[in-house]
Amino acid sequence: MPLLKLENITKRFGGLVAVDDVSLEIRPGEIIAIVGPNGAGKTTLFNIINGVFPPDSGKIHFEGKDITNVPTFRRAPLGIGRTFQIPRPFGSASVRENIAIGGMFGAQGHRMSVDECMEKAGRYIDLVGLKEHADKPAGGLTPTEKKLVEIARALAMKPKLLLMDEAMAGMNPKDIDKMVEFIKEIRKTENIAIVSMVEHIMRAVAGLAERVMVMHQGAKLVDEPTREALSDPRVIEVYLGRPPEGNVADR
Amino acid sequence: MITEQLIGNLIQGLILGGIYGMATMGLSLIFGVLRVVNVGHGQFIMVGAFMALWMFNSLGVVPVIAIPFAFLLGMLLGFIFYYSCIKRLLKGPELASLLATFSVGIILEETIKLIFGSEFRGYNWALGKITIPFTVLPYTKLVALSGSIIVAVLLYLWFNRTRAGTALRSVVEDSEGARVCGINVDWQYALSFSLGIGLTVASGVMLTMFIPVGINPYMGGQYTLKAFVIAVLGGLSSPYGAFFGGLVFGLVENGSYTLLALIPHVEPFALTRFLSFVMLLVILLIRPTGLFRTR
Amino acid sequence: MKNTLSKYLPLVPVLAGYLLLFLVGENLEGTWQLIALLAFYCALGQAFNLFMGMTGYVDFGYVAFLGIGTYGMAIAISRFSDKGWGLGLLVVGMLMAIGMATLLSLAVGAVALRLRGAYFAIATIGVNEGLRYLIEGARLWNGSEGILFSGHLKKAFGRDFAIALSTYWADVMLFLIAAFAAFMTLFYMRSKVGYALTALREDEDAAKVMGINVTKYKIIAFITSASLAGMIGAVAWALKLTYVYPPDVFEIHYTVEAIIIVLLGGAGTLLGPIVGGLIYGLSKYYLAIILPGFQLLIFAPIIIFIIVLFPEGTVGVLKKKVQGTFWEKIIV
Repeated sequence: MPLLKLENITKRFGGLVAVDDVSLEIRPGEIIAIVGPNGAGKTTLFNIINGVFPPDSGKIHFEGKDITNVPTFRRAPLGIGRTFQIPRPFGSASVRENIAIGGMFGAQGHRMSVDECMEKAGRYIDLVGLKEHADKPAGGLTPTEKKLVEIARALAMKPKLLLMDEAMAGMNPKDIDKMVEFIKEIRKTENIAIVSMVEHIMRAVAGLAERVMVMHQGAKLVDEPTREALSDPRVIEVYLGRPPEGNVADR
Repeated sequence: MITEQLIGNLIQGLILGGIYGMATMGLSLIFGVLRVVNVGHGQFIMVGAFMALWMFNSLGVVPVIAIPFAFLLGMLLGFIFYYSCIKRLLKGPELASLLATFSVGIILEETIKLIFGSEFRGYNWALGKITIPFTVLPYTKLVALSGSIIVAVLLYLWFNRTRAGTALRSVVEDSEGARVCGINVDWQYALSFSLGIGLTVASGVMLTMFIPVGINPYMGGQYTLKAFVIAVLGGLSSPYGAFFGGLVFGLVENGSYTLLALIPHVEPFALTRFLSFVMLLVILLIRPTGLFRTR
Repeated sequence: MKNTLSKYLPLVPVLAGYLLLFLVGENLEGTWQLIALLAFYCALGQAFNLFMGMTGYVDFGYVAFLGIGTYGMAIAISRFSDKGWGLGLLVVGMLMAIGMATLLSLAVGAVALRLRGAYFAIATIGVNEGLRYLIEGARLWNGSEGILFSGHLKKAFGRDFAIALSTYWADVMLFLIAAFAAFMTLFYMRSKVGYALTALREDEDAAKVMGINVTKYKIIAFITSASLAGMIGAVAWALKLTYVYPPDVFEIHYTVEAIIIVLLGGAGTLLGPIVGGLIYGLSKYYLAIILPGFQLLIFAPIIIFIIVLFPEGTVGVLKKKVQGTFWEKIIV
């Protein structure tokens, strides 16, 4: 059974079709990338999966259950987590508190007390390497550190599916590689599927994703294993992003 | 008998509604452009009312002449408040600008009280009246209504036919895009805010032409509530919607007053004010974007 | 056990402060009236902070809850004074005050709390007006004449105790309510409720994504804050003044005062409302002597000043200074 199944999702804003009849399946533990130029509809798709707004038509199934009209806050305990492109940690709360909040209302939150969540937060603080900042207010951190708080907070929710929105935007190649390794690591240790949304960082896509879905003007263009997708003439034609270094076939 | 009275009151309500509508245009303008809710709205109306009062009683100036002066005063106040505090609060939490405009309202109340005292005042501009079927209309009310309509039309023309107005509309649509086109967005914000306040203060003058009594520093609060109902009715960001919302409100207010007066053991005036509040809640629940589809 | 102790440590300065105030009033001749005023403002601030401070939403109609609490107590005393319940009458009155305030908050909350920021403020701005005109218009509970129950109070408790109630015991109860409000604030802060509120205050959409049912927590804060207001009204207005009069108890400037107190002291902090209450109460008391009639004119610009320059308030600034030190655990 697929973890997440999107069936014919369409979303319009006024006259603009933001998402056009998109269908997608994600299996447990997969890492896939959704790729497409600005305005292709990726963020809208994420918002629909997250429950920020419902689709105009189509259905969403998570672990077999229809969640199309389930409100946002109920999707987290089901196991859907998300990080934002511009990190949005709760600024006045400390790093530890931020992460603990993720745990409190996430998948197993109702079983855990506040103290337990604080304790468990320690693990994620170590995972992202923010131990020295653990009790500082999240608002005072650097953008990269805030990103790590976002991720740790999302992980503390114990998601089965993690939507990562442009997690590597603005990073230099070395950091991108580190992030790629990190994501692969958490996929294994946390046993989650990861959907990574990227715009043009081919380095990340090639090294990380098993499958790529390319979107163009709201519709799905291709949905293939990475290798094929990146050398697919349709993709190259419509999407003049920066090609990865070297030949994709060599990776 | 009752139907006649009702129709008569409805006509009065329509006229008053036109003035209410014009009074609310400023509120909608400010919200539409700056996304700021001017909680001190009613107090600016009160300032206009006092301006009319003072100019008539002390200077012998007819309210119609007071209108442009009130408008200018309002614009001046608007610029002052924009640059001194509103500007800084645009990026912060909503709470901040709400409290700021609320406090401005209080400052206005207390300052006017200091200058004029808190008794109820009025003035009498006797122009005579005209008798139409169902009711009697003093000419002052007609002047007020015409004034409101003229202002609404002028605003419409300004927005759609002048360069300045078009620049403003572009800022509402897409502030980044407007900036790229070389439009000074900050100045547009200042202009809209001041324009909104100017309209509001001017409307205070017109209101007194309809109700030339009961002018006191604390009269503003009730108009804030009414303005919110009207603004929400007309679509919070649309000045034209506000005008039509005002008409609807005026009708409902006077109509319900007449009908409630028929019920024994009830105080119709108080209950009508309660009704405005209920209207507000109902609309906020059902159709917060307003009943009218104007942009 | 030790954990609980350290969790509730921040209550110590709060309770100590109230105790100190009480002792000053008890022992220093002629200060009781001032102390009672300060207790009122601290309690008001503490109750209002529970909603505005912790959620970031402004309830402009807050005074309606004070008013309806006053009515609750007034109705109980005027209707049941001849039942011979003794102190039970006060308990009934208090329960009615809390009950009516809770019901009102549910009614208002059901509509208003679904709305965001500015829309919420608009919805609440008419609540106190609406309730006042409903009472006057429908002639509820004597309509615009209000209820005068000093006679009933004397009949139920005898003249001497009734006077003691109005001039002393009511104020003592205010202290207790203030302490209780402080306790509730800390209780929420240390539980999931508090964290949910912090999250939704900072970023409501991100909070929803994190799985927080923001409406539920807003309601919890709203009802708690409203019930406390009802209790305050029952005690500080009904018992002290022995009458309730619609234009008085739905007067918007009490909401203004509550806002000033919370902002001055530090919204969302535990100590803030006390600090704010003391500063505001003292300033108002002495201003009334020096410059009567100018209070609001002086305080309204101060609100703007605080919002623009010191949004975190006195205790907020203090908290930043003591970060990383021992005091961090106490100044909350």
